[in-house]
Order: sequence, then C-alpha cells, then structure tokens
Amino acid sequence: MAEPHPLLKVKDVTKSYFEDGKEFKILDLIRFELAEQDFVCVVGPSGSGKSTLLRILVGLEKPTSGEVLFEGQPIRADNPQVAMVFQSFALFPWLTVTQNVELGLEAQNVPLPARQTRARRFIDAVGLTGFENAFPRELSGGMKQRVGIARALAIEPLLLCMDEPFSSLDPLTAQNLRDEILQLWSDPQLPPKAVLMVTHSIEEAVYLADRVIVLSSRPGRMVAELVIDLPRPRNRKEPEFYGWVDEIYSLIV
Amino acid sequence: MRGRRRALRFVAGILVLAGIVAAIASPQAALKALQLPLFALFSTSRMVAAYLIGLVFAIAYGHTAATSRRAALIMLPILDVLQSIPILAFFPAALLFFVVTFQGSAIGIEFAVVFLIFTSMAWNMAFGVYESLTTIPQDLEAAGSSFGLTGWLRFRLLEFPAAIPKLVYNSILSWTNGWFFLVASEVFQVGSSKFARPGLGAFIADAGRNGDVGSIAIGLGVLAAVVLALDFFVWRPLSVWSERFRMDTASGRELAKVPRYEPFRWMPRFPAVRRTIIARAHPATQAYHRASVRLDRAYASHPNVVRDVRVVDLGLFVIVLLLVVTTGLIGLGQLFLRPLPPEAAGLPWAALLSFSRLLLAYGIALGWTIPMAVVLGESERVSRYLTPALEIFASLPATALLPVILGFSLAVVASTGGAAQLAAILIGLFSMQWYLLFNLVAGVRSIPQDLREAARSFGLRGRPYWRRLLLPAMTPSLLTGSITAWGAGWNALIVSEYIEYAQRPYTVTGLGSLINQAVLVTGDTEVLLLTILTMIVVVLAMNKLVWRPLLKRAAIRYRLEV
Repeated sequence: MAEPHPLLKVKDVTKSYFEDGKEFKILDLIRFELAEQDFVCVVGPSGSGKSTLLRILVGLEKPTSGEVLFEGQPIRADNPQVAMVFQSFALFPWLTVTQNVELGLEAQNVPLPARQTRARRFIDAVGLTGFENAFPRELSGGMKQRVGIARALAIEPLLLCMDEPFSSLDPLTAQNLRDEILQLWSDPQLPPKAVLMVTHSIEEAVYLADRVIVLSSRPGRMVAELVIDLPRPRNRKEPEFYGWVDEIYSLIV
Repeated sequence: MRGRRRALRFVAGILVLAGIVAAIASPQAALKALQLPLFALFSTSRMVAAYLIGLVFAIAYGHTAATSRRAALIMLPILDVLQSIPILAFFPAALLFFVVTFQGSAIGIEFAVVFLIFTSMAWNMAFGVYESLTTIPQDLEAAGSSFGLTGWLRFRLLEFPAAIPKLVYNSILSWTNGWFFLVASEVFQVGSSKFARPGLGAFIADAGRNGDVGSIAIGLGVLAAVVLALDFFVWRPLSVWSERFRMDTASGRELAKVPRYEPFRWMPRFPAVRRTIIARAHPATQAYHRASVRLDRAYASHPNVVRDVRVVDLGLFVIVLLLVVTTGLIGLGQLFLRPLPPEAAGLPWAALLSFSRLLLAYGIALGWTIPMAVVLGESERVSRYLTPALEIFASLPATALLPVILGFSLAVVASTGGAAQLAAILIGLFSMQWYLLFNLVAGVRSIPQDLREAARSFGLRGRPYWRRLLLPAMTPSLLTGSITAWGAGWNALIVSEYIEYAQRPYTVTGLGSLINQAVLVTGDTEVLLLTILTMIVVVLAMNKLVWRPLLKRAAIRYRLEV
C-alpha cells in the first residue's frame, strides 16, 4: 500500500490568552499530522481547549505560536477543502434546508443549477429527502445536525472537521448519525477523504477513530496518541473495546 | 386576526360617524377638510422620505460600528448622545440653515422638515443594527467564515437577515417618533417670518391657532386613521414576517409552530390583490437577485473594494465629525467669553420647573399604566376589547393634541396661568404614558407560564403575588419604557410650555418656553443656545446617573431566564 497523502500538519501549536498582564495558557505544543483516509478524534476533559484547538486547525483563530499547514500552505478560514460541523448546528434560521446546504457553493459562485443538483444529492445522502424547503426551526435536533453535515459535505471537502457534533442530540439519534458518518467516510465516491473530530466522549472516540489524540486539561497538552486497530464494524460490548476505553480513561484522570 | 379586523371596522365606523357629525356641525370646516386626503399624502410622503434616509443611514452606521472596533469607540458615544438629547430644540437652527441655503424656497423648508423627522427616526434603528450584528451567535459567524461568505454575500445572507427583527421593531418606534416631529415641524415660526408646508400637521396647528374646533376634530380623525392604517397594513404584517429571522438560541427545544413561509404571505389577505402584487413584483425581485449575484461576483473578484469603501466611509465620517466638533467648540468658546446675559440667572429655576412638571406627568403615568398593564397582560379578554381603543389614543402624537389639551385645560381651570400649567403637564403625560404602557404590557406577557403556575400552586395572591412575581418581572421593561418616555417628555417640553391657541399665546416658566421666547419673540440666540445647553446637561446627567445604573442592575437581577 502506498504512503497516504498527508493533508494537515499541526506544528507546535500554542495558544494563550492575556488578561491583566497575566498569561493563561490554553494549549501547549500540540503537534500531529493527518493524512488521507484518517479518522482522528481529539478527546479531553472540559477545559482542555479541544474546541479552541479545532477553531485554530480550521483557521478561525490564530495560534499564539506554531503553525497549521494544509497541503503545505498555512490554513485559511475560507479554505473550500475544509468543512466544519458545529455542536450548535449553526444553521441560518432564515434560510431553508436547501439554501443552508447551498451556502458554501453560493460563496464559491457555483451556478444555480449545479448548486441545486449538488445540494439535492447531499440532502438525499443524509436522509432528509422531502424536507428541502423546511426551515431549521421546523426540524428536530437530529435533523438539524443532518443539515449541518450535508452543508459541510456539499462543498466536497478533503477534510471534515466536527466540533462535538453529537453531544446535543439524544443517544439513539447520535448513534445513527455516527454510523452514517462512518459510511460516508468509507465510501470512496463521496467526500470527505479524512475526518477530524473533537469530543469529550471516550466511547465515541474509540467507536469512530482509528487514531485518538488525548489532551490533558489546563493547559491542553498531548498526553498520548493512540492507534485504535480494532476491526470495523466495532462492537461496544467486546472486551477489546473496553480495554481501549479504560486505557484512555486512565490517561485522562 | 379576525378580532383585529373587527376592531378596525369598528374604529373606521366611529371615525366616519365623527366626520359626518363634525361636517354637519360646521360646514365651513368640512369644506376645508376636502383637502385633507392630499395633505395626508404630503405628510406621509415626508415620513417615507425621512424613513428611507434613516434606514440607509442606520444600516451604514450600525454596520461600520459593529465591524470596526476602532470606529465604534467614537461612533457609539456619539449615537448615545444623539439618541438622548431633545433634538426638537435644534430645529430652529436646522430650519434656518436649510432656508438660508435654499434662499427661502419651499424646497429648503421641505428639506428641513424631512431632516427633522430623520433625526427622530435614525438613532434607535442604528443602535438596533449595531446590537443585532454584535449578537450574532459565534458559531453562526464561524459557519459564515468557514463557508467563505464575504463582502456583499455575507451582508445579504448573514448580516442583514440577522438585523431584521430589531430593524422592524425599531422602525415602528421610529414612526411613532416621526409623527410627533412631523406635526411639530410642518409649521414653524422664526422671529417674524412664518414657514408652513401643506400637510396634516400644519392643518391641525392652523385650526388650533384659530380656535376652530371642527377642523381640529376632523384633522385629528384623519391623522389617527392614517397612523392606524399604516400600522395595520404595513407594520403588523412586517413584524409577523420578521419573526422568521429571530435566532432560536435554545437548540433542540421544540418551538411554537411557525407557519410555513410563502412570499408576500404578510400582505393582507385579499388573494387577488396578493396575486397581482406577486406578479408585478416578480420582475423586480428577479432583477434584484441578478444584481445581487453580480455584486457578489464583483466583491469576490475585488476583495479590496470592501475595505476601500469602508476607509472612504470612515474618512468622511471623521471629517464631518471634526467640522461639527470644531464649529461647536468655537461657538461655545465665543458664548462663554462674553458676559452671560441676565436671563441666564433664571435657567436653573426654569430647569427645575420643567423637570418637576415632567416628574409629575411621569408619576401620573406610572400610577395608571402599571395596574393597566397587569390587567391587559393577564387577561386575554380585557386585552382584546381594550387594546384597540388604547391604540387609537396612542396613535395620536402629543403634538397634534396640543389644541385639544389646552381647550380642555381652559375649560377645567379658571385662571389662564393655571390652565397653561395643567396643559403643559398633560402634554408631558400624553407624550410619556404610551411608551410606559406598551413596554409594561410586553413585560407582563413575557413572564413564563411555569413561573405563573408555580406562584399559583404556592398560593401567592394579592400583595405577595405583586411583590414576588409581577413587579420584579416588570422591572426591566419599566426601565426601558421610562428611558424612552423621558426622552419623549423632554422633546415635548419644547412644544408644551408655549402654546398658541385662538390667537394668543399661553406660557409657563420653563426651559421649553425660554427656547420658544428666544426663537419667536426676542430672537436672542445667546439665550437660545444657553437654554439648549442646560437642557442637554440635565438630560445627559439623568441618563448617566439614574437610568444607566438602574438598567445595569435590573439586567442582572431581574432577567427572566427561559
């Protein structure tokens, strides 16, 4: 098998806030790489700066020192190869499902017919057929997040970044969406090539990722980088699965 | 909806009846009243012109202040001052400026009137835009940035829609203010020269000056009809429509069903009319859409344009600001270098008297609006019957009621001095009370159902119910209502302390009458400027020392977390 094509390089990223002349370190020397075919989860307790890390990785915030390279170039927030899914969904309440999904395409000046076809394809892919003209407030939480995912996939990104995408959903809906994300990721016909996800649920990370990055809290430091080599589909009841969960749990506590 | 329509039909019936009665009672007045539709059209056009300018100003100003922190540093305090000082006091100066610039032609006066209305409409809308843009949820901003929304596209898809609820809300407020100013500004006298433009305000003012009761009644009826019709056909549908743009902060929580959106749904329900309007509007909306797409492209291919426009924008703003500030400072310097005129000694006393009148009016307003708001907010049935009647009264700007109120005072109080005092207080009351009432009703309605139920299940009734639930829940809206009410009250001073009725002036001692004396009788600009200055100092001091601290504490203590 050929060496997978590297996508993201995180080089010694440190982030501090300054208040009253005092320095508060949030992230300390985060360093890892992400290649095509990777599914990486970042786990850590609250206060470990996971969300800040993700915002830096997609270019929404600047690191205090260090840098983030995407395909060799410094990352920019409006990079069309990177898409983002938010914990709070961040749907535009005044746009319909279709218009929300078309958002990134509209910004890229994709002509209307092509935009509509592509939006339709991804609305179908996340199972929202029939809700094209609904407004976000008419949808349940799980459906809203499907729109968020379809909106991210519609720009056909190489890298999909997700910030606790399932933590404001009920457990059953969350599990369904997890399986769907795995399916989309493993389908070579569909984007994305790689997924980077931030979560506080260790079980979720072990279930989804083939690599888990563990952060400590205040400041967030990399405690470990583990390769989860369990075969897929994974079963939460197997002792190997629990072995991994326990190991990560002991690293955090 | 049906109740409202029935109410409107009821109101229309009363107005028509009143018109017929008035026409029979005084045929002369009826003859004059034939011009009224035209006058109403003139007045409304002035309002629309001022509103459109105000809207563009508000969006540009609010957007610049929200997107540039450095600009906000000077733009926000200026807006704050402009919003709280009684602008009406500056009208003579503005009028003179426009009249001199246009050499006394009618166009100059029209510009002056539109400008004055603009100053009563623009500031709160600009604040609304600023607040909306700075409170867009962080995730939504991030989504916009990460999906590449910039320039015009960002404005069209993110910023403008986010500002719509507050813009519509503030537009309604602005129109109320605007009517107040319109009536005050259509007729104006500076020294011996009188300026008047045909319109509803001028008609009512003229009728009052001649003591022509029939014309006063007809003029007020038409004014109320115009205000109510605009409210019913424009503002109510628009505020229903604007609900669509509200952020639902609680994600996942089930919200009340919002009807599916269809274009022009908010138009009154005459299907044929609606269809025609949709058909007519279609080319326009298409053209708008195409133009938008072109603009998106233009901005996308020249990202620097946005920055350049903003730099030019800010540059112009700073230049104008510097000009105004330097001329103002030079004027002030000249004013204080000379010995103060003897009238200056009377200023503190006049300020105290004016303030006391407003305080009295405020007290009376509180006395009836708080219980009334509780009744209206708690009982659906009472509210359905009483609200339309109250809205009719509220639709009449206090400036238009001048002749009626003075006539009433003359009938009640024997001495002319006493009547003038009573009239000044009543006009203050009428300019203040509606802001209090409608804010308080909203406050009572915003009490969550489960809090009411909790109160009921613990047996809270009577005094404890008021003290533990109603009054604390009303506090924030009482404060916002009070701030707006006092702003209106200070403006009302300019017209309430010097009233011309049936060919003679009725005056009381106060800041407002000093301003009018200076403009109309003595022509003493020095006294005029000093009086305005005193007023501004009092108003700003009250805002900074009373209202702001109270509001800050109420916001922390009495906010209803849902």
